[in-house]
Amino acid sequence: MTTGRGRLEDVLPLSPLQQGLYFHAALDDRDLYATQLVLDLEGPLDVAALKRAASALLARHANLRCGFRQRKNGEPVQLVHREVALPWEEATGDPGAVAERERARPFDLARPPLLRFTLVPGGPDRNRLIVTSHHILLDGWSMPVLAEEFFTLYLGGTLPPVTPYKRYLEWLAGRDRTAAREAWAKALDGVEEPTLVAPATAAGPPVPPRRVTTEVALDLSAVRRHGLTPNTLVQGAWGLLLSRLTGRDDVVFGAAVSGRPPEIPGVGRMVGLFVNTVPVRVRIDEERSVAALLTRLQDEQAELFPHQHAGLTEISRTPLFDTMTAFENYPQPGDIALGDVRLTRVDLFDATHYPLALVAAPLGGDRLWLRLDHRPDAYDDAEAALLLARVERLLRAMAARPDAPVGDLDILLPGERDRILGDWADGPPAAPPRTLPELVGTWVGRTPDAPAVTCEDTTLTYAELWARAGALAGELTALGVGPETIVAIALPRSVNFVVSALGVSRAGGAYLPIDPGYPPDRVAFMLDDARPACLIAPPGVPLPYDGPRLSPPAAGRDVRTRPVRPENAAYVIYTSGSTGRPKGVVVSHAGLASLAATEIEGFGLAPGDRTLHFSSPSFDASVFELLMGLASGGTVTIVPPDVYGGEALRDVLREVTHGFVAPAVLAGLDADGPANPRTLVVGGESCPPGLVERWAPGRRMINAYGPTETTVAATMSAPLTGDATTIGLPITGARVYVLDGRLRPVPPGVPGELYVAGIGLARGYLNRPAPTAERFVAGPFGPGRMYRTGDLVRRRADGRLEYLGRTDAQVKVRGFRIEPGEIEAVLAGQDGVGRAAVVVREDRPGDRRLVAYVTGDADPAELRRAAARTLPGHLVPSAVVVLDALPLGPSGKLDRAALPAPEVSGVSRPPLGPLEEVLCGLFAEVLGLDRVGVEDGFFELGGDSLLATRLAGRVRAELGADLPVRTVFEAPTVAALAGRLDAAPAGGTAPLDVLLPLRARGDRPPLFCVHPAVGVAWSYAGLLRHLPDRPVYGLQARGIARDEDLPGSVEEMAADYVAVIRGVQPHGPYHLLGWSLGGLIAHAMAVRLRAGGEQVALLALLDAYPLDGDPDAEVPLPDLLRDLGFAVPEEVTAEDVAGLLEGSALGGIDVHRLEGLYRAYLNALRNGRRFVPGRFDGDLLLFTAARNTEAPPADVWAPYAARVEPYAVDCAHTEMADPGPLAHIAAKLKESLDP
Amino acid sequence: MTNPFEDPDGRYLVLVNEEGQHSLWPTFADVPAGWTVAHGEDTRQACLDYVNEHWTDMRPKSLIAAMEQHERG
Repeated sequence: MTTGRGRLEDVLPLSPLQQGLYFHAALDDRDLYATQLVLDLEGPLDVAALKRAASALLARHANLRCGFRQRKNGEPVQLVHREVALPWEEATGDPGAVAERERARPFDLARPPLLRFTLVPGGPDRNRLIVTSHHILLDGWSMPVLAEEFFTLYLGGTLPPVTPYKRYLEWLAGRDRTAAREAWAKALDGVEEPTLVAPATAAGPPVPPRRVTTEVALDLSAVRRHGLTPNTLVQGAWGLLLSRLTGRDDVVFGAAVSGRPPEIPGVGRMVGLFVNTVPVRVRIDEERSVAALLTRLQDEQAELFPHQHAGLTEISRTPLFDTMTAFENYPQPGDIALGDVRLTRVDLFDATHYPLALVAAPLGGDRLWLRLDHRPDAYDDAEAALLLARVERLLRAMAARPDAPVGDLDILLPGERDRILGDWADGPPAAPPRTLPELVGTWVGRTPDAPAVTCEDTTLTYAELWARAGALAGELTALGVGPETIVAIALPRSVNFVVSALGVSRAGGAYLPIDPGYPPDRVAFMLDDARPACLIAPPGVPLPYDGPRLSPPAAGRDVRTRPVRPENAAYVIYTSGSTGRPKGVVVSHAGLASLAATEIEGFGLAPGDRTLHFSSPSFDASVFELLMGLASGGTVTIVPPDVYGGEALRDVLREVTHGFVAPAVLAGLDADGPANPRTLVVGGESCPPGLVERWAPGRRMINAYGPTETTVAATMSAPLTGDATTIGLPITGARVYVLDGRLRPVPPGVPGELYVAGIGLARGYLNRPAPTAERFVAGPFGPGRMYRTGDLVRRRADGRLEYLGRTDAQVKVRGFRIEPGEIEAVLAGQDGVGRAAVVVREDRPGDRRLVAYVTGDADPAELRRAAARTLPGHLVPSAVVVLDALPLGPSGKLDRAALPAPEVSGVSRPPLGPLEEVLCGLFAEVLGLDRVGVEDGFFELGGDSLLATRLAGRVRAELGADLPVRTVFEAPTVAALAGRLDAAPAGGTAPLDVLLPLRARGDRPPLFCVHPAVGVAWSYAGLLRHLPDRPVYGLQARGIARDEDLPGSVEEMAADYVAVIRGVQPHGPYHLLGWSLGGLIAHAMAVRLRAGGEQVALLALLDAYPLDGDPDAEVPLPDLLRDLGFAVPEEVTAEDVAGLLEGSALGGIDVHRLEGLYRAYLNALRNGRRFVPGRFDGDLLLFTAARNTEAPPADVWAPYAARVEPYAVDCAHTEMADPGPLAHIAAKLKESLDP
Repeated sequence: MTNPFEDPDGRYLVLVNEEGQHSLWPTFADVPAGWTVAHGEDTRQACLDYVNEHWTDMRPKSLIAAMEQHERG
């Protein structure tokens, strides 16, 4: 590049951070990287002198006169202009609004200066001066320097010469990058996953941050005694906060470092972009002291100080954090001498794109000024203010007691703790305990003739139910049944079951429901495990039980029964348990009255209401249903046992006033029709929003939550409107706690495990002391025990609980922690989706993928896009499968094991066409992976918006195609992106022409790569990333792009290709490369060029040898496909081939072209077998495939070259153009190309 | 989130309350009011073994007492 004399003073490279900002600015149409200094001035201002001072500043600092452009090869440079016009504006209006408007006004990076002065008069002798610049020019640290110089110049003073920014760039170029990379790798060794706290950070383009601020006075004397700096204290507090927000003990965030190398003289007085963001890792040992934590942090930072110049992408290929801290020194009002003008206020807006950035500045004394910049799409002002208050609390506690253990630090705010452990934890006071017979007996006394239970044609009044249960109780008592005796009931949902359960209760016993439809093994296990004293079952049904057996009585006479205490066991229900053997949960009568009270009040139950009984008696939801009717004087309306859903269930639902239905069942029902049931309770699993939309209008719909280990319910929502994830607040007599891994209550918004306590707590697991002691644990916040549910919840700001999923369902995919429930909620919220389930599948070992299953008529591809719009990339399912219905287990819950594997084509598709080859390479390069498939999602592989920006930059550099970053979000796979780029003129290279320009630009002589037998040269695209600045052309066989005569020999091919390359490069020295058969052609080309008197500087052969064998041997089509990179079976049909090519770069070509490809392939092989090489009078660089056992020795070439230099690559013949081998080949090639 | 009761390498106590109910308890946390240490500190498994051995009647003590009184009376 020539420097325009007179206009340009210098051309400089960019620092790593400048490069990053350049690509952000160049590729994102909303460039938000503005830095702004706002100065409020009081006193008589000499505007002319101010302007002179501003001009003098521009003259003084060369880097303030820089514009930025890209070289042809994509490399950006900064051009120092000799002169720039002073961008000075005098504006009127609200100074705050002017400043905001200035921040939002983008700069054109090519047009210097990238800063603007705006003066806003705000009254007599009151002015606001706003200096807005692009962040690529200046960092926050430069601002005080700039301001001070500005005012010195204003007052007519002189300044000493400044060290030019160029010196810094030179210093940067002299750094040992390898040492830096190693130091960072060591510092970050063992970091298991990135520390991401903001919701959906990768989901959209950056938006301007908002800020909340506070001042805090600290006593730092103890901290200083430990030799710790305020910066370390702030970083430690931030690390701790992140730890508490994420529940992890190893967290990483970014820290802005000044980046000013002390070895550059006068660096402190320079202005420019020096600042860098580097990772800070904080490892938390809760048992050790605050001082120990901070000391380790400070020591680690000190060790890394020499390596702070490294760019973030050099430090880690994948994003590590989404928050950062900065410790800044601002000029204070009064610091700057201004003559008779007083500086009353200084404010600075720094550019940031992180969702959260904590900025601290010392205010003198031990006071700190804190500012939390927050992206409003991630945190609103109130949430940010709360976070800042927690930081403040941590800072105070840490400064006051550095010797206290870290685990003692509390992030809850005063008052918050009381609320969380008080009002939010406690349900209404428990109802006085009553037994089941007492609860039902009340209505036997009041309304003996009212219908108590009905099923099809059978109806029993309260008196009849009571009498039959009494008769059964008499029989049971005679058999020795009493309190704490278990009686099994092997009956389906029926009137008889209700009679039997009440009968067992009246005899004092605990009933154990056994679903007769259960597998025999399971029935046998329960009977053996619980050892019931007696079994109630229909006669004749074979059951593995040899104790006393009764049938439910058809009629009966009441008897006197034994007294039961509320503390006695009421029922035993087995939990399925995902691991281990099922456990029988023993529940007493004590919590039944509180549950009944909750139902009566919450559901508006009154005598005469008809309540649904649809749950299987072997689930505790049946207890919930029976109480709804029998404890309120209503009628339990039983759905016949052979009805599982659908129209038959809907018919019963229309008859009842109140009902509980699992969401999975509800999803299959038609919501239209009468308002009945007036009250609809859902629960047992999370309820998708779509169901609420369909069912909530016109009725009371409530979400109930409770594990079997409580008396059915523990929490209940208010009537649902749109938000279905809430499980509400504790019910009567219940207490709930949301705790972290150290049993500390977590603040609202932070996920924690739900613990339940209160009167409804089960006694434990039948005959299983140890599992009981593990799950029913001592309660630190109230009397008695609490049950740890294993459910992950979060409190909303109003204290209501949101259900997030199972703690053990939390899974990791590619190092990211994933909560399937979060994804399910997003999918279920889309139009056309009934229900959604998300699971992690590992259908191929080691290949863990998120797969979503949905019901409804939504388009899977559209759903994925919708998910990508609202979820971070790693949460977007890699496949969405539409099912007619989700498979359900016996409880009506999702049967995850029965979900089908997503259909994947049996044949993997390789990149087809040069564009896909190049993009695969670029994806891999940017993501730091060896290889990326054409259908792999950029964000699933760990990409984020920053990496997407880099990808766009690389695409621009390699393909010359302008790719807006958001296109990467819209088309995140190689295949999809290739489709977008293909449509754009810049990316449209005809993929089958003889000359294939893989990269047409570059300052050096081109490298020509000759096709192997298969006739196409796309696979050489893998060389591009390793050979920057050099054009690379492929040579492809004739007869593919169009019908034409096929060459009859290798020599004929060589002559043809030499003519073609001369069109690109008229004269040598030429650089030639060929793989396999292409090596023979390249050799023939070299011989021909030399004969014509041209120089051949490089002849490189990739595992190519003179061929022998029958020239006319047939080669089957599958071999061709394999050579193209497909994994294909032995037998393959034309339809298979068409299917394979569908959607690829070849997808558009007709069968005719495909035949051409095949003919050219056979022709090339035939020519190759007949070929006898001539002698090349130069060096032959022979890359041999070390795993090619059939290869002849390298000296087979000795007669055909002046010298043969063999170089072994550890791969098979067919793998030579794979990314790994190509990297080795390119490294060696570079030695020859750039000696 | 790792649950404090599920750490296979953690150190634990066994706590007992006045109802004779047993609870596994991580040593890092304070012993809640109403509970006393019955065993430990020890490994998780040793604590669970202790529970299996010593918590033989899982009815609350007050219930046992009431039922015994009823039998006698």
